[in-house]
Amino acid sequence: MQEFLQQLVGGLAIGGIFASLALALVLIYNAMGLVNFAQGEMAMLATFVAYALINRGMSYWIALPVTLVLAFGGGIVIQRVVIRPVEKAPILTLVIITLGLATLLNGLAGFIFGYVPRSFPSAFSAQTIDLLGVFISYRDLGVIGVSGLVLLAVYLLLQHTTVGLTLRAAAHHPEASRLLGVQVSWMLALGWGLAAAVGAVSGIMVAPILLLEPNMMQSIIIYAFAAAVLGGIESPIGAVVGGLIVGVTVNLAGAYLPFVGGDLQLAVGLAIIIVVLIIRPNGLFGRAAARRV
Amino acid sequence: MALLELEEVRAGYGPTSVLHGISLEVPDGGVVSLLGANGAGKTTTLRAITGGVRWTGDIRFRGRSLRRMATEEIVRRGIAHVPEGRGICTELTVDENLRLGSHLRRDAPEVKKDYDRVFEYFPVLKQRRRLSASTLSGGEQQMLALARAFLMRPTLMLLDEPSLGLAPIIVRSIFEIIRSINETSQVAVLLVEQNARIALDLSMTAYVLEVGRVAVHGAAAELRGDDSVRRSYLGY
Repeated sequence: MQEFLQQLVGGLAIGGIFASLALALVLIYNAMGLVNFAQGEMAMLATFVAYALINRGMSYWIALPVTLVLAFGGGIVIQRVVIRPVEKAPILTLVIITLGLATLLNGLAGFIFGYVPRSFPSAFSAQTIDLLGVFISYRDLGVIGVSGLVLLAVYLLLQHTTVGLTLRAAAHHPEASRLLGVQVSWMLALGWGLAAAVGAVSGIMVAPILLLEPNMMQSIIIYAFAAAVLGGIESPIGAVVGGLIVGVTVNLAGAYLPFVGGDLQLAVGLAIIIVVLIIRPNGLFGRAAARRV
Repeated sequence: MALLELEEVRAGYGPTSVLHGISLEVPDGGVVSLLGANGAGKTTTLRAITGGVRWTGDIRFRGRSLRRMATEEIVRRGIAHVPEGRGICTELTVDENLRLGSHLRRDAPEVKKDYDRVFEYFPVLKQRRRLSASTLSGGEQQMLALARAFLMRPTLMLLDEPSLGLAPIIVRSIFEIIRSINETSQVAVLLVEQNARIALDLSMTAYVLEVGRVAVHGAAAELRGDDSVRRSYLGY
């Protein structure tokens, strides 16, 4: 029981990381019906930025917000420079552009920082505390806390501010929003900025666990896809719940299913995607896609 | 100088041209209706005004040309456009739809008064404030669209078939409210309608479109009294 609870908390921590990246995917999907395959690489690059800042002597807790602001700006620049010129292109074209962007960012990070894995500091110690007989690391608790805060901040922004309201309106009803004076094109850019910042959190949280290198996010993005699909690709809350479920499932499968172990965890993530798509294509929180043809 | 002036406006979709040179005027605080059969170009005329379709000729609002201006910018200058299909954001709640109407305004005390006015006009919207706009009936959605446009505090409202698909009694009450908004807030209205009778009752002047051209125009009372116009263009 004790070990089960420890695995559960560990799963929630890694799930929080998946949730952040999944939320980033959902933000862009909502804004333009596009799955951004470059989301993981954007997060990786942001993590390298945080690494460079910390390496130059900036404290972790200053480097984190600075990186998020830079990632936000970077997301806006990517939308303006790369996406906007092809905004009206067929969705497949856009998907391929995000794939190209992923390759580009990956190569860029390799070119600047090299491919040698680097250890990335964590703000939380690896020590454990004893909570009613269950040993939980400060690191897990810290990751859960930071992810929770970020997700809460995004929720408050979207649901309780005017900017959030116009963002949602522009995403779902671009034509009607324009007639109400909403600057839809800038709202899309804002969505990309927000997604980049939220995704960056996942990179910074996962880097101490995985070691930082250009391919760091390539498995995490699969889990994030699984989380987003499980939650119903349109639902921010679904992304969070999906992330936690995927995190816990993968962790428990690794611990208790002998044939999964550490090697086949990624396969569990892929299996979740396939099973959800077969059984419940709209995910847990998605609405049935009724479409007039 | 009229509030809104269209001069020889031509517009269309791709290679299909829909408007073949429309000229019309809406005076400050006036109500003008745009009548005509399906496909005459009424909706396209409204869309041209708020930049939803490319056009040539000239469109001036308060004396300034709207050429090459983005929809957002035109709207921010004081034109509220309730489009065909009403443009309700069904993903959002009734309250959020209303807040989108007033989101650009900085005169908080006035906004508050306008909300009170809106809920006086449409008590049903107050009851349903927290509900998703998708749960509203057609008539209620039309009320929401009108309320939202009113909250933008425009100098000109473009209304595209506010009577479409609604029961006669609801149509009457909605037109009463349009009249009241026009009279008490001096909002000019350009009204597109299939229902010529009720539109002419409300307006001072009217233009009848026929395949992208102005076929007849004049004072609403005259058009109403002219049997041949009524029979050939207005169908009642």
